[in-house]
Order: sequence, then structure tokens, then C-alpha cells
Amino acid sequence: MNANIEAPDSRQAASLWRRLPAMSGGVPQILPAFIVIFLVFNIPIASMLGRSLLPLDEPFANYQELFSRTVYLKVIWNTFFIAIVTTIICCLLGYPLCYWMWKLSGRWRLIVVALVALTFWVSILVRAYAWIVILGNDGIVNQLILAVGLTTVPVPFMYNRLGVVIGTTNVLLPFLILPLFAAMMRLDKRLLLAAESLGASKNEIFWKIFFPLTMPALLAGGILIFILTLGFFITPAILGGGRVPMVANMMDLLINRLPKWELAAAIASVLLAITMCCFFLYQRLNSRL
Amino acid sequence: MDNSVASSRSAEPARSSVGSVVDKLASGLIAVVALVVLLFLTLPILIVIPMSFSSAEALTFPPPGLSLRWYEAFFGDSRWLAAARTSILVAVASSSLAVVLGSAASYSLVRGSWPGRNLVEANLLLPLVVPQVIFALALYMVFARVGILGTLGGLILAHTVLALPYVVLIMSVAIRSFDVRIEQIALSLGSSWPRMFVTIALPNLAPSLAAAWLFAFVISFDEVILTIFLSGVNETTPKRMFNELTLQVNPTITAIATLLIVASAVTIGALAWFAKRGGLAARSIIR
Repeated sequence: MNANIEAPDSRQAASLWRRLPAMSGGVPQILPAFIVIFLVFNIPIASMLGRSLLPLDEPFANYQELFSRTVYLKVIWNTFFIAIVTTIICCLLGYPLCYWMWKLSGRWRLIVVALVALTFWVSILVRAYAWIVILGNDGIVNQLILAVGLTTVPVPFMYNRLGVVIGTTNVLLPFLILPLFAAMMRLDKRLLLAAESLGASKNEIFWKIFFPLTMPALLAGGILIFILTLGFFITPAILGGGRVPMVANMMDLLINRLPKWELAAAIASVLLAITMCCFFLYQRLNSRL
Repeated sequence: MDNSVASSRSAEPARSSVGSVVDKLASGLIAVVALVVLLFLTLPILIVIPMSFSSAEALTFPPPGLSLRWYEAFFGDSRWLAAARTSILVAVASSSLAVVLGSAASYSLVRGSWPGRNLVEANLLLPLVVPQVIFALALYMVFARVGILGTLGGLILAHTVLALPYVVLIMSVAIRSFDVRIEQIALSLGSSWPRMFVTIALPNLAPSLAAAWLFAFVISFDEVILTIFLSGVNETTPKRMFNELTLQVNPTITAIATLLIVASAVTIGALAWFAKRGGLAARSIIR
């Protein structure tokens, strides 16, 4: 044995090499992915956070500028407003649809889930384009309204907050529906049967059992929608037409048009902090489900 | 006591008949709301597909006549085709990289015994949580300093990191459901780890690997934000679509959109098929 350790022959070295992945408890398999995520994700995010504090002699200057200039405050307020409205609308639209899907019989339920999943997969650009066709000044809705005679001038549905909220809701609704529906399917049906056999009305069963039990999933879905809307870029750029700037679009402007990288980094850091707080809440809610 | 029970029983039928009418109304209302929401969700698909076959230049719906001119416009435009080629190249490269890195990492996370696995797993999943625009901004500044801003290599790296969490999520489930004793038997019978991995683990995980690759491919192919920030003069299909959409309305996009919707439907079908096969493979092993 001793001799082997002092002078391992090549065959043994080879076998050691072959057994290493199993013996080392999986460290060699994680390393490539970890190196990539460290270099291409961790370092960039960390250096962005650091950059937001430049110049070093006045580390909070960027944050001061961000929260004192009305231009930036307006954009931040606009972003929060759209995120809150979108979240509320998604919850109001998503819950009835999920409840209806939950009550459907097996085959129809499968078809509806497949439809929702399909919209989930359709490119965000394709959907933005469709909304231009539907909501534009010479779009379908305006053609209808003009033909019926409700108005004589086209109603501006696009290039304002309304258009952005419609487009964003359309894109993000599946993110609420699919997890909420899954949570409803996980619900123990015996609870509802027990309530029914004890004489509860359908109304009571829904409000006293079904709704409270699915409420955490609805809240979690709402937080997810809120986070996703905060960082939304494509839909506001297309359906807002530059007139409804959100935080992400302002970052694009600060980086690509008027190079103010430090300020962009500060905005991104604030957005990141808010997102992480919301995500923490989301995790807490999900772990209780 | 008896009386009150009797009276409440006699009141029961009356209440339930009123209640059932209310219940029916309520469930009818829910069905109507649900169908309207479903229509709202699917409306873009229902509009875009017929419009792609329109013969009109303007955005008129329903289309005045049918033609394939927008498909011809797409396949006859070398810039659109070049963008499509770039998209496919970037998606194939980054999804392949993500699957290799991510499945090895998942194996280590599920089967490994090293400390701090939870932390590393959370780190690998973090790109899923951080808004893409923040990630794009952070990479823009680092890529500019390193000098790979505007290169396809940099874009592929960025897309790889974006797709990695999805691969880790899919493969972790797949590996967890694959019986570890089968691997242990192979190892205890004298197989080296690489040989066990190639001849035992890989064939059983193949359907899930295919699903993960497809998922990563779609993530990369559809990605716009990182591409806008990082690709420089290179154009991918979504980036060109975005630029066209912010400038003017070009019906060629309806043709591309329809092709993408068909591709999405095929992908969902393929994913479902792979998921089923993955499940079947796992079950047949246990038997």
C-alpha cells in the first residue's frame, strides 16, 4: 500500500481520475456552471452596484440626483402606478378564469390549459404587434366604434397608459393563471365535500373555504406580476410609443442616448433592491402554500 | 329543541331553491367572465394569423383578400433571413452550452454532498429573478470594458446565463426522479464514473435533456432585451422586429409572427411528448 501511494503507476492514476467525479461528491460537475455564473452574472451585477456609488468622494450623489429631479421621480411614479394597476387587473381577471377552469371537466380543462400555455409561449413582440392592430387609430376597435357611430374621431387607446396596461396585462396574465390554477388543483377536495355534507351552501363553501385557501396563491401570483411589470421594457416601448416611459426605458435612454452610466446604475440598483424585497415576500408566501 | 330542528328542516328546501337559482346565476356569470378573459388572452393570436395572409398594405381586419405576399416579403428579404440565421446560431450555441453546464450542475446539486449547495443553487437560479433589463445593463458595462460588447460570443454567453436556471430546474427534477441505486449498482460493479454517466444516466435522462434544450432554445430565440443592449450591429429576428415595431407598422411581421406561433405550438407539443417519455422512462426503470 505504502509503495503504491509513493509511486502510483499510471494505471492507478488513470483509475483515480475516472473515479474522481464520484468520489469528490459532485464538485467537478458544478464548477463549470458556477464559473460561468460567477463571471457573467455575479461580477457584472456587483460591479454595477459599485458603479452606482461613483465618484467615490461623493458616493450617494447619483441617488440624490435620482430622488430630487422631477423627471426621474415622474418615471418612477409612472412605473409603480402601471405595476399596481396591472397587478390588480391581473388578479381580478385571472381568479375567475382559474376558478372556471378548476370546475371544468377533464378534457375541456386540458384544452383551456393548453390555450393559456400557448399564449404564454407566443413572443411578446408578436402580441405587442397584435395590439397595435387592435387598438391603433385605424385599428379594429376604432373601426368598429366609428362604424357604429359612437364617436366621430378615433379614440386613443395606444401611446398612453391605457395601451401599456392592456398590453402588459395580456403578456403577464398567464404568469398568474398557471400557478394559481395549479394551486387550486392541489386543494384537497374532501374539505369542500365535508363542508357540503355539513350543510354549507355553495356560497359559504366558496367564501369560507375555497377562497381563503387559494388566497396565498393569488397573493404570490400578484407579487410576481408586480415584480415583472417593474422591469418591463418591450411593451411600454412599443405600445407606449415613448410617451409612457418606465424605469427600464429610462435606463435604456441613459445608457444608449445620453451616456450617464453611473445614474443608470443607481436606478438599476434601486429597482434591484425593490425586486429582491418583493421576491423575498413571494418566497415566504410560496413556502406556506 | 325539537321544534327548532323541525322548523329549520322545513325551511331548508325553500332556501336551497332560491340558493340554487343564485348559484346558477353566479356560475353563469363566472363562465361569461372567464370566456371573455380567455378571448382577451388569445385575441392577439386570432388576429395575427389571418392578417398574415392579407393582400392589403394597410392594417385592415378582416383582410380584404388573401395572399402570401408577406411570406414572400420575409423569405425574399436577405436582411430578415440574415437576422433569422443569427437568431438560430445564437440560440443553438447558447442552449447547447446551457444544457451541458446546467445538467452537470444539476447532477452535482441533486447527488452531491458538498457544503453550501443551497447557496450555489440559489445563485444559479438568480438570473430568473433579476429583471432582464438590469442584467442587460450590468453586462453592457462589463462587456464594454472587456471589449466583447457587440460580439456574437458575448451575446451567446449572456443567453447561456439566462437559459441556465431553466435547465437547472428541469434537470434537477429529472435527476431526482431517476433512482440513484441504479447508478450505485453500476459503480459498485466496477464501472468508472464517466462510463456509468454515459451508458446509464444519459440514456435515461435523454428525454428531459431534449426538453431542457428546447426550452433553452426558445428562451434565447425569443430574447429581446439583452440582445438590444449587447448585440451591437448584429441583428436577430426579435431585435429587428422590435426596431421595425417602434418605427412603423410593417405587415411582414404578421408572417413572421405566424411562423413563430406555429413554431411555439410545435414546441409545446414536443415538450409535452418529451415530458411524457421522460416519465415513462423513469417508470419503466423502476419496474
